[in-house]
Order: sequence, then C-alpha cells, then structure tokens
Amino acid sequence: MTAKIILASALSLYIASCELNSFAQGNPATGKATGEIANAANKFLATLDEGQRGKVVFDFKDEAQRKRWSNFPTAIFKRAGLRMGDLTKPQRDAVLALLAAALSPQGYEKVLQIMEGDEVLRKTDSGGRLIFGHDEYYVSFLGQPSTTEPWMIQFGGHHLGLNITLVGEQSTLAPSHTGAQPAIYELEGKSVRPLGRETDKAFALINSLNETQRKQAILGFQMHDLVLGPGRDGQMIQPEGIKGSDLTEKQREMLLDLAGEWTGIMHEAVAKAKMDELKEHIAETWFAWSGPTEKGSAAYFRVQGPAVIIEYAPQRLGGDPTKHLHTIYRDPTNDYGAKWRKP
Amino acid sequence: MIKTLRCLAVLLLGLFALPSTSLAHRLDEYLQATIVTIEPGEVRLQINLTPGVAVAEQVLFLIDHDHDGVISTNEATAYAKLLMRDLILWLDQRKLELKLTSSNFPAPTELRTGEGIIQIEFSATIGPLPSGAHKLILKNRHLPSLSVYLFNAAQPRSDSVHVTRQKRNDSQSTGEIEFTID
Repeated sequence: MTAKIILASALSLYIASCELNSFAQGNPATGKATGEIANAANKFLATLDEGQRGKVVFDFKDEAQRKRWSNFPTAIFKRAGLRMGDLTKPQRDAVLALLAAALSPQGYEKVLQIMEGDEVLRKTDSGGRLIFGHDEYYVSFLGQPSTTEPWMIQFGGHHLGLNITLVGEQSTLAPSHTGAQPAIYELEGKSVRPLGRETDKAFALINSLNETQRKQAILGFQMHDLVLGPGRDGQMIQPEGIKGSDLTEKQREMLLDLAGEWTGIMHEAVAKAKMDELKEHIAETWFAWSGPTEKGSAAYFRVQGPAVIIEYAPQRLGGDPTKHLHTIYRDPTNDYGAKWRKP
Repeated sequence: MIKTLRCLAVLLLGLFALPSTSLAHRLDEYLQATIVTIEPGEVRLQINLTPGVAVAEQVLFLIDHDHDGVISTNEATAYAKLLMRDLILWLDQRKLELKLTSSNFPAPTELRTGEGIIQIEFSATIGPLPSGAHKLILKNRHLPSLSVYLFNAAQPRSDSVHVTRQKRNDSQSTGEIEFTID
C-alpha cells in the first residue's frame, strides 16, 4: 500500500466518521456509540470468508488472547487475528471504517499517524531482522459485536495496542498502548507528530508549576521506561508527585486536558463519560515528572488517579529519546471493562 | 585469560548485533524493573529483566551455562538464585530471607532482540508486624555496570497497609518504602 492510497482511504473514512460522529453528538449516549461500533464491526466481518472469520473472532473468555498485545514489532511478538497486509483493499477499508466508528476523529488520526510512522521506519530500516509498516497491524475480536453482550476489539502492532471492551452502553479503551517512532516525520511536505499534543501539553503543565509545586511533582531519580507497560496487567503502583488538590484550578484543567489526549482517543460519547469520571476524581489525581523541564527535552511523566493511570516515557534506545516514545493508558479499577463483566 | 577472551567475544558479538535491530530496541542497558508488594505477613518482589541487544549475550552467558542455546529449568533456577543473592532486603533494619516464587524465561533468540523479558518473583515472610511506622529497603547489586533500574511500591491491596513515602537513589538501584500498619 502506498502512503497516498492509505491517506485517500483514511480521508474518505474520516469524512464518513465525522458524519457518524455529528449524528452521535446530537444523541451523545454511549449506548448509541456501541450500536454504531457494532454495525461497523459487523460490516467488516461480512467481508470475510469462513476461514478468515475463524481466525479473527475469539471467545470472549479467552484470557490469553485478551492479553496478547504489545508495543513490540510482529517479528518479536506474535499476534493473533488477521494481519492488515493479508486483507484485500475492501477488507482493510472496513477495518479502518471500524476504527473510525470506534474512535474520535482525533483518536483515529493519531492511530493513522502512528501506523504511518511505522511505515517511515520500514523505509529507513536498513535490512534488519524486524518487520515494520502498515501491513504489520492485526485486528481481532473477543466475542461477537453486540449492543447488549460484552465483546472486545483489538487492533495493534508496533507502538500500538488498542483494547476496546464494550458492554452494552459502557465501553473502555483501557488498557491501551500508544507510541511513536519516529515521533516526528515529514509526510508530503508536512511535519507529523503522532504524540505531539500530549508532549506539548505536559511541558506546558510542568512549566506552569511554581517552585513549591515543582518540588512535589519532580521525582528525584531517572525513569528509564514505563512502569506499567504491556505485560503488567493487574498491577498498580503507589502514586507519587503532586496531587490535584495542590494544583490551581487552571492547572487542574490543564491536567484534565492532558489526560484527555488518551481518554479522547475513543468515540466522543465514551470519552465524555470518562472525562466526567476524571473530573470527579481530579483532587485525588497525581502528576509526576522525571527529567528536564525545558520544552523539547526527553522527560518522563505520569498521571495517576482513582480512575486512570497514564505514563509517557521517551526511550533511550541508541538514538534521540525524544524521537521514540512509549505511552500506556490504564484504568486501575476497570482494565478490560472488569467492573462491568460478570465473574 | 581464556575467560577474559570469552567475555570479550560475547561483548563483541553483542556489538555486532547492533545494526540490524537498533532502530527499535533497548541497546546497551539491562533494565531491571521491580514492583514491591507489601502485604500483612509477606513482601513480594516482581522483577522484570530486559537485556538490551548489546548486553544480551553477556546476560545469556550467565544463564545458559552449557551454552547449548536453550535455557533449561535448572539454568533458569540457577540464574534466579544468582539474582536473589544480589538482592538485599531489610525490614526495620532486619535482613529478610528471600524465596524464589516463580520465574519465566523467554527463548534466547527472543532475549537477543532486546525485547525479551525475564520475569522473576521472590517473596519474603515478614510475620505479623506491630501497628505503626515501618521501613523496607531493597538494594539491587545485580550486574550494576550494565544495568538501569526501576523501583516502585505497589498499591497495597490490604486496607491495613499504607505506603507513606518512597525514596530512591538516582539510579533506583536502591529504594526505600516507608509504610504504616493499622
């Protein structure tokens, strides 16, 4: 697939998603979102033959498949489901339409930019053993698309692990991984930063703190990676840094806006419900920082509260760490929709 | 002399592996990430170990003792115990005895990519603690010249345990957890 074809498909699907989402804005119930997402999933499934359907749908109780996601490239971490590179163009378009239905326009754009970044990596990788690019992303389902029964969409590959659990009117993106390498690249004359907004908002927040607040927020040690990255399901660490109750009203808004870069990946109705939950707990939500605070430098940060944990970690892997980013988004009480699922 | 040459050879092997995988992967660091869980009566250490591409051969040299390219159960246990000997855990100035609880080793081929993760869990019995303030200290002395560390207290699951403060040295090879028991 060339970049032009991908972008053309993405643009048409983006317009379609805007139509869907403008409809949802009139009726912003999360239940309606589930219906739209289930419809898009069924349209994709209808494009598949029996053999493909057998590979893409897993039992909802398949815990091994639920946890089969990673930041790693496919040569290292074997995913199940259907590989984008093995699908026909109408099938790939149907996958993209599903993502456009499930995500907000900004979230969908972010996902496309992460995948495009991996394509850039493929073109610049000089004969390595690893495989990168658009084709190396996988889609799978746990359970059947439904507006009443629990089901799950998984879409991921290198630097992307979306795990969307839907249970009737409820849905969650937790846990999910986003990353970027290169974190900035040129595409058709334009500079693209898949994780640019979260980076800029975090630097704006840390630089809005006064000296006393900074002493609380800045951890006095180096952070080399995510603490609760892929593979750390079911674990939760003690929060550190500065507590929301010690921030000004304006800084609390900035913290919510920063967290919104992850919660806002999902369909607007779902994202709004999640943001309402974060607002409720903002006083008990912490912000921690490790590294320099000058904009453009490599620094780690964490947002942690009763309903969210987000980590952002530049990777010191032989190059400029600001150009290789890993992030994780989790919900301490509701990863994989745990609180909505029957035991 | 032979040992020195062998070490040099594995280091060179690691360095030659760099160009093919350096775009995406941990290079010359051995990441040792520990989460410490304090529960009434027990402390657990969950350690994820990720050797970078350039140091994977050095780490594998310590694990795959017979150098047959396979990590046997005995070799995995022996390495976990080697790590255990490099960990010192104190509770209120009392040294705790660690016990190997579980371990999971990926294949050497995966470890050589810089993305394979060794998972090892240790536990220590601490017995019933009196109410009030306590301090737990973990010092990790395992392969310091290669390693970078993460140290974090888990959020206690028990309502009777409250973590009040965490301190680390700059590299996080040593961490302290201050906590109270109701």
